[in-house]
Formats: sequence, C-alpha cells, structure tokens
Amino acid sequence: MIERFNELRNTALLVSVFVIAGCGGGDGGGADAGAADAAPAESPVDAATAGNVAGMVTFSGAAPMMAEINMGSEATCAAKHSTTPTEEGFVGGENGGLANVFVYVKEGLESLSFPTPTAAVVLNQDGCMYRPHVLGVQVGQDIAIRNSDGLLHNINASPTENRGFNVSQPVDMETNRSFPVAEVMVPVRCDVHGWMNSYIGIVDHPYFAVSASDGSVSLDGLPPGDYVIEAWHEQLGTMTSNVTVTTGGTTEISFEFTEVMAGSPVPMGEPIDLLHPDGHQAVDH
Amino acid sequence: MGALKSVFRLLGAPFRPIGSLMGRFLNTPFRQATAVFSLAYVLIEHGIPRIPPLFGLPSAPVPNTVVLEYLVIALVGILLWVSDNEERWSEFKQPIHDVLVRPDRRIWRGALFVIVPALVATQTYLSARPDVSAPPSFRAIHPAPPSAITFQGEQMVLDGLENPLRSTGLLEEHYEEGKRVYYQNCLACHGDGLQGRGHYAQIFNPEPINFQDGGTIAMLTESFVFWRIAKGGPGLPNEGNPWNSAMPVWENFLTADEIWSVIIFLYEQTGRDPRTWELEEEEH
Amino acid sequence: MLVLPNLRSCGWFKGLLSSRHITFSSLLLAASLPFVPADLSAQVDGEVVYNQWCAGCHGEDGAGAGPAANTMLPRPRDFTLALYQVRTTSSGELPTDADMLKVINEGMPGTAMPGWEEVLTEAERLALVDYLKTFSRFFQGDPPTPLDFGRATSGGEDAIARGEEVYQSVECWRCHGQQGRGDGESAPTLNDDAGFPISAADLTENWRFNGGGEVEEIYRVLRTGLDGTPMATFSDIVDAGVITNEDLWSLAHYVRSLSPEEEPSVEEVVTAKLLTDTPLPQTVEDAVWEETERFYVPLSGQIIVEPRWFNPRVDAVWVQAVHDGRELALLVSWGDPSESPDTLWTDFGGQVVTTMGSEDEGAATGSGTADQLVVQFPQQLSEGQERPYFLQGDARRPAYTWTWQSDITGAFESIARGMGTAARQPDSEQHVRATAQHADGQWKVLFVRPLDTGGAEDLALAAGQAVPMAFQAWDGDNGESGSQGAVSTWYFLVLGQPTPVAVYVAPPVALALTLLFGLLVVRQAQVGSGMWREPDAAARAKRTARRKQLAGMGVGVIWLGMAFGSYQNSRAGWEAGYADLGFWWAIIGGLLAIAGLGALIGTWVHTRTLK
Repeated sequence: MIERFNELRNTALLVSVFVIAGCGGGDGGGADAGAADAAPAESPVDAATAGNVAGMVTFSGAAPMMAEINMGSEATCAAKHSTTPTEEGFVGGENGGLANVFVYVKEGLESLSFPTPTAAVVLNQDGCMYRPHVLGVQVGQDIAIRNSDGLLHNINASPTENRGFNVSQPVDMETNRSFPVAEVMVPVRCDVHGWMNSYIGIVDHPYFAVSASDGSVSLDGLPPGDYVIEAWHEQLGTMTSNVTVTTGGTTEISFEFTEVMAGSPVPMGEPIDLLHPDGHQAVDH
Repeated sequence: MGALKSVFRLLGAPFRPIGSLMGRFLNTPFRQATAVFSLAYVLIEHGIPRIPPLFGLPSAPVPNTVVLEYLVIALVGILLWVSDNEERWSEFKQPIHDVLVRPDRRIWRGALFVIVPALVATQTYLSARPDVSAPPSFRAIHPAPPSAITFQGEQMVLDGLENPLRSTGLLEEHYEEGKRVYYQNCLACHGDGLQGRGHYAQIFNPEPINFQDGGTIAMLTESFVFWRIAKGGPGLPNEGNPWNSAMPVWENFLTADEIWSVIIFLYEQTGRDPRTWELEEEEH
Repeated sequence: MLVLPNLRSCGWFKGLLSSRHITFSSLLLAASLPFVPADLSAQVDGEVVYNQWCAGCHGEDGAGAGPAANTMLPRPRDFTLALYQVRTTSSGELPTDADMLKVINEGMPGTAMPGWEEVLTEAERLALVDYLKTFSRFFQGDPPTPLDFGRATSGGEDAIARGEEVYQSVECWRCHGQQGRGDGESAPTLNDDAGFPISAADLTENWRFNGGGEVEEIYRVLRTGLDGTPMATFSDIVDAGVITNEDLWSLAHYVRSLSPEEEPSVEEVVTAKLLTDTPLPQTVEDAVWEETERFYVPLSGQIIVEPRWFNPRVDAVWVQAVHDGRELALLVSWGDPSESPDTLWTDFGGQVVTTMGSEDEGAATGSGTADQLVVQFPQQLSEGQERPYFLQGDARRPAYTWTWQSDITGAFESIARGMGTAARQPDSEQHVRATAQHADGQWKVLFVRPLDTGGAEDLALAAGQAVPMAFQAWDGDNGESGSQGAVSTWYFLVLGQPTPVAVYVAPPVALALTLLFGLLVVRQAQVGSGMWREPDAAARAKRTARRKQLAGMGVGVIWLGMAFGSYQNSRAGWEAGYADLGFWWAIIGGLLAIAGLGALIGTWVHTRTLK
C-alpha cells in the first residue's frame, strides 16, 4: 500500500496524508486529505506575512448509526476489510470530533488568483470503498481516479455547475478527470456497488481541507485579512464562520454541528465561483 | 373508342389516337380490351385509396371481394362493347384463336398450358389446406349512440347535447385543463401526437383511435365523444365488440367537466371541429 | 416539405443546417423554391411548438415534470440539466444538434417518448432543438465535437465469440446479467441521476434500446455511455489499451446477437403443432421447444380499471404450444430479473411503488409479492364472435383462467367475472399441471392440460378451432400485485390437425382437369379451322365413339369425385356431432358413388369393342 502511494508525484505532506487515510483501517480515520499547501511555490501570497486558521469540527448529540455494508457478493473487496465496513455518511471520532467535513474559504479571496497545481489528487477505489470519502481539488486540477480492486467499478460524477462523467473501469487502471468550474460539492457514486459514494469539493484557491477523524482541521498560508469560512457535511449541511487572519498568526476556529441539524438541507453543486461571480448565470427565459 | 371518337367529333376536334403508343399497340380490340381491363384494375386497387377525402370521408383500400365485383362489372362492359358489332367481335376473337391454332404461336400455347393449370392447382391447394387464421371479426367503428346515458348515477340526455364548457369560462383554460387530463390519462395509448400511437398502443387490438384522422372525432358530435369516453369499451353495444376494447370507463376516474375539457383539448390540438347537431339533423 | 430532405442530403447544405442557420436556410429555400409551404418559410417559434407538444411531459420549464411525468418511468428528460443519453460525444459532453434531432425524430424506444417525424414539420423539429438548448446555460459555449467512431468491423461468428469474451472481461454482466436479460447482481440497486430506480436494459430486446438497437448504435452507447443513467462510457479502457477498439466493436456485435434478427411481429393466432411421433413435453427444457415456433405477445400496463399500473416489468411474453390429440402443452417465457419475492429486490420494488404510486383506490403500497402469470380463455366458446371482456371476463361472460404463482407449486384453474374476481375451481375440477423454471433472468412456465377435461365449467379444446386466449403477468419485486400488472388483449389459440387428404389429392386433380380442358379447347379450335386432316366416315364414326367414351368416363370420374366430397362432409358432420348431417351426406355420397361406378362400367361395356 505504501509503495503504491509513493508513486505519487506530490508534496510529501500529501503523501503522508494518504498513507494515513489508506492504512487507517476500515474506520475511515484519516487526516486532512487534500491539504491546502499543495499549491505550488509561485503562489502570489507572501509566505512571510501569511497566517493560519486552525481548529476543530465537532458534533454534539447522539451520533447516527451507520449501516453495515454487505460485501457478500464481492469476496475480493470483503477480504480487504478486517472488520465489517460501514457506510461513511457520518464518521465521528474521539472527543466529539467530526470527520469528513469539507472546510474552505468561501469569501475573502476574490481579488486573488491562483495557479492550477500540476500534481493530481488521487481518488482511489480500494476494497469497494472510495479513498478518501471526501476530497478537495482546485479548479482544473487533475483527479487521478484509480481502481485498485481489479473488478468493475464505474465512477459516476453528477455535478450541476460542471459537466459530469460516468466512466467504467473493469480492471486496475487510472483515469484522469478535472472540473473547470468551482463547485461544492460534486457527488460521485459507483452504480455497480450501490454503497460506494464520495464527494469532491472544487474551489479556485488552495485554502480548503477535510477534517480528520479527531475533527481537527487547518487552512495554512492565508494572506492576512477577513474571511468567511464554510464547513460542509454530507448529512448535517453547512455552517459558516467569519474570521480575521493576522500576519503570521494562527486564528482559532470551531464548527459545532448538532444532532438538531440532522436531515437539514445539504447544498450540492452550489455555484461557487469566487473570482468570476457573474460568469455562470443561468439563462433567463 | 367509338364513343370517344364521337365525343371528339362533337367537339369539332379531329380524333387522333393519343400518340404513336396508342396507334402502334392499341390497334386491335383485344389489346384495347386488355388495356381497359388492366386500367380498371389499377384504378380500383390503387386509385381509389388515393382519392383525397371527400366531405370529411377519407378513402380506404377496397376489400378484395369488392375489387372482384368491380372487375366483373368492368369485364361485362368490355364484353358488351367488343361483341357490339360482328366485325369487332371476330377481330377481338382473332388473337385468342391465333394462340390456339397457329403453329408460330406454339410457344404461347405451351406457356398457357403450364401457367394456367399451375395457377389452378395452387389456388386449389390454398383453399384446401387447413386454415389457421383468426376468425373474421366484424366491428362497428362508430356504433349508434344511445339517446341518453346514466352518468355517475345521473340521467344525461345526449341528443342535442352541446359541450357546456364552450359557453362558460375561457376556452384557453378549458384547453389547459383538458391537456392536463389528457396527459395524465390518455397519453399512454393515444399518444403525444394524438395519432393513437402511445407507447402502449400497439399492444391493444383494436388499436387506440387516431384523433388526427379526419374520419374520427371530426365526424362526431361532442356528445358522442363524451359517451365514448364516459362509458369506454364495456359501454359499447354488441356490434362494437365491447369485450375487446381497452378503452377504460372514464366515469370511474373523471368528472363530467374533466371529460368535457379533454374533448375541447382533442379538437383544439388537432385543429378539427366537432360535428354539429344541425348537420346531424339535416342528414337524418 | 418534400424538397427539404433532398436538399439536406447535399453536403454543402448540411453545413448550413446548424441551428443558427435555420433562418438563413429557410430564407434560402424561400428564395430558391416557389412552392415552399408557409410553415417552412416562416420562422417557426420553437417555444410555441414546445409548449403545445412537449410540455405535457417535459413541463413548460423543461425540468421534466409535466402533468404526465408521474405516469412514466424512466421520467421525461430534464432539459435544465443538459444530460442527454443519445450522443455522439464523450461522456459528460453536450449532444450535437444532429444527436438531439435524432431523438426527436425517432423517439426513445422502450420509453414513452415517441418519434415526431410524422407530427411535426422538419422546421418545427429543428426549431425545437434550438429551443431545448435555451433550457441550459451549458449550450452557450462552443458546440461539442462528435467522437470519431471509425467504421464498423464486419460481424460474423468470430466477432460475436470475441464479443462474448469482452462481455465477460469488462463485466457487463454485473448489471445486464450472464444472458443479458438485465438480471445482474447490481441491477437491483441502480438509480438514475435524479434518484429514480432504473432497470438495466434487457439486451435480448434490441427494439427497446435507448438510442437504437443496431450494431453501430450499440457501439455508440458503449463509447459515449448513457449520461444520467448508470451506463458508463467504455472509451477510457480503449484509450488505456485494456481492450482494442475492434474488441469494442465485437462487443457491439455480440450484444446485437442476443436479440432476434428482426423485431418480432405480432401474430393474432398462436398455433399448437400436432405431435404425432414425439411424446408431449413434460418439462420446460424438452428439446421439442427448440423446434416449436415462438409467438410474441406484447403486454401493456393495466391502465384500464382501478387501481392502474403504469410501469409493468413484463413487456412481452413468448408463447409456444404443442398438443398430441389428448393434451395441450403451453410454454410461456418472459424476462424477469428476479424470482419474487427476493429480498435483494425489496428496496427496488419499494422505490418503484413510491415513484409510480398510483393515486387510484386500492393501489399497492409496497412490493415483494410473488410473480404471477395468468392465461385466460373464455369459459365457453360462443356461436358468434362474442368473447368475455379481455380483463378476466364480465358478469355475463366469465373467463376461465390458469394461474401460476412463483410461491406455489403448479397452477390452478379459476372462473373469473372481472379483474380480481377469480374464484378457484374445486379441487375435483383442477386439471391443469404446471412446472416453472427461473434461470438467467427468465421465467419459463409450462402448462399441460387435457384437451377435454370432462369438467362442466372447463373449456373444451378441439383441433382446428380458434380459441380466444389472453395473458397477464406480474413481477412482485417490481411492486406489482392485484390489478397492477401487465395485460394483453385477446389472441387466438388454434390446435393443429392432421393434414386432410384433400390437400394432397385436390391440387393434382385440378391440375389434370385443367390441362385436359385446355387440350380439348385447343383441339376443338384446331379441328374447326381445318388443321386436322378431314377424316373419312369410318374414322369420323370412331372419333365420335371415342368422344362418347371419354364423356362417359369423365362423367363417371366427376361423380366419383363428388362422392368423395360427400364422404368428407359426412365424416365432418359426424365428428362435429351433427349426426343428421353426417347421415344425409353419407346417403348422397353412396348414391353418387353408385352412379359414378355405373357410368364407368357402362361406358366400358358399351365401348370395349373400340380399337
């Protein structure tokens, strides 16, 4: 497993993140996949003055039970799991931490533009599960969709702001796809295996992260200024928070999702185009 | 030909056989008779179905038995004409006689000896072999409507009944309501194009009615259409084969206003007009 | 109207026909042709056409939720998403104008979308293409470029065999099943992009394929996928070198080979072949069935009485019948991915019921009942053409039915007086036997019953008689039960009978007689015109005598022939139970036979001295 990930031509941090995500066992425990500092060096941001945002995403109340997945029909996949895998719509960690929350800068970066990273982000199909379950990429950045199971998967992405795709992968192989427009979030599913689903957040800057199993999350290297940060969860909806980043400082942030929010509307495919807000208005007729 | 000649003479024009074709090939009574007979067959079999609709009545293919009947009439006429004078009669018989007698017509003779018995034998075989076709079904397309029906428990006189929605409210609204009713209920069989070609249409026998056809709703009063919709297949009289029609009894599903509005939709969407009671009375 | 298609076939004109040139092309036509109908030369308003003909299903806002949408699965297309199944472009790309026009022209087979070629003018259909594109901003960008499909490889057994290997290796069977009947293990969990349950296509019915069932069309779907559905593109595996483009063509040839060469035609009469030297088949796998003609009986949703059902699983049954003079064997086969009730399909059926839930009284609220098939006959044949109402009879004319269910063994006979009123006959009156097999997404049910059971309430079957017959089928895992299933109208079952002797005898006799008559006519004409040497008196007398002999013999033969005909009539009369008819024909036949023999013998006696 480790060897496979080493093939990635990516930053060391990203590699380590995936190693943890891939080897953390069936509990979905991982770190902040799709970390923000994957952005290349020619970022317009002055590293000397940049600050950080860091904090926790937590959940209070009774955690919903996730159904066990019956992989009886897929012996190859079932064998890859030491314990019975469960669905990943809600993954809570110790101390009330909430994993798989996509946290990103929603407002405050309108005046800046960022180059597209050349390194691809991997979406792996392993043990008939998507690894990671939630990931973020930048606009135009390649997503390397990898089949590590050697059996038929199809990757059916259904965005609303971008054009989708539905690709079949009957053997171990890799297919690259990218999205040209920012969109939070794009659902991805496998029709062959009804339980397999994943979400991809596409933003046009490098300041996004996915909360780890303990709920920790951080956005590093932000230029000083005022920002609106949004946290998105596939079952609990969204929360926003206004923060001010100071030169070289670390701003605390916390999102507390509650039991009450279960079943609240989860925005999907919202037109999030910070740099070109009027670029994609629907035609009025 | 003689009659044609005299017509031309009456008109003061000299009669000339139409072009050299006529002159060269239709120069004997036998050939003329054959040509007229063939022309009659072509006209009856292929001409009649192509006549444009007259008075709203569309043409239809002529059934085989009727074709036969028409052809016999044509043959009798032709025979009367060829035997009308002695000279023409013997001229007419000459080619037939030649085939039977002349040595240089041996090949024709031989061919007839092969073809005619073969045809007779084939026909005999076809009529003798066991028949596995469906029994013929006779079905009145537009059976006579009752003068009154019971609609959802209430008496409704159909004679002289007009569509009440045409005198109340906005036609546009009735059309929209009728469209909704049609799309939710009628579409699967009668189709989006109102041609009786919905996605279930081919499965039913008889197939659903084609409203675009000038021989259907355009020939009927709105009260007739109301009766057919309200009572459906099971409400047909026996000559309409009620056991076979898949038309539901819509009084079980729709209100009277819904039926009247769908009737407005049918006429508006096809651009046809219902038959009026005045016309109905004139013809009876 | 006739002119436009001709122009469109010219290469230079095709280029002009992209949407933005419609006005131009209309003007061009108007300028060059004096007789352009008004509707072509005028600018057609696509919105007006759309609202009149399309909005009923697709909705005026184009979101696929018009008034009729609830009666359809798959649902009408939501144009605001700009997801189109039938394309010549990559997965996720927009369709070309030609792609959209193809669907408008030809419709979507197997769905409620009809072809519009005969309802709308070409100009109206082109205007529709333009109007549909206004529903989504995606069409504001550059027009999509179609993929290069290359040319179809030649088919044949090798290509099909290779295609079958590819079918296995790229795992088409996961959804479409091993025999292609849409019964793969993933089939029960399939949803379209809007979250509605969707069935994997039954690949044995290519006339119901979305986007067409010919090899080129199947290949196109493999290359482009069907956007908005679980059917993914297989272009990437060709690009990655997993299989070759030729392999993909072979796969298309294989998929095509799973369906009959032609779309089956509907015959009103189902014939049951008479088996003379083979025993009546007692299993669905008997070799007899491979040689027995299959009759295609399409079914529709039962949308006639409450509660209605707009989404039947079983779109057709195949019927085969044989009999041995004592018993009838009727084999009915149909595609059904599951052996209901199957827990793997419970959710699917539940979703179907939620999606298609009828507001009619008594509509099903859940799924998971048994599969069911009903074969229906009239309880009694009528003298005329009258039959029971095709939905299990009516009060006046009951229907006699055979019911098979997947959760019981065998089948049972009932008398029904309307849908859902079937009353099982007492055990002493049960005569029908049934065996069933479910394999690879197909049910095969064999019914066997004596032709005449002797039961007073049972229909007796006789050879040569046309017996009305109808079918109804339910898939429990598709949420079907009660009156919510699939139905057909009346067909006829005709039991074959031994070929009558007349079939072999009559044609040669007719042939000989015609030939004889012809010879006589020719001979007469030739004698009359003096072609034959004028005979002397003796020869003339001899000829006259010969003629008399011939006439006498001829009369005798004709009388004997008539006697044979009378015998046939007599026999038919006895068999039909009309003894009086049989008796009198026998008498007539006897007299004719005596007369015929008399004529022959008399002529022979009187003319035997002739040399």
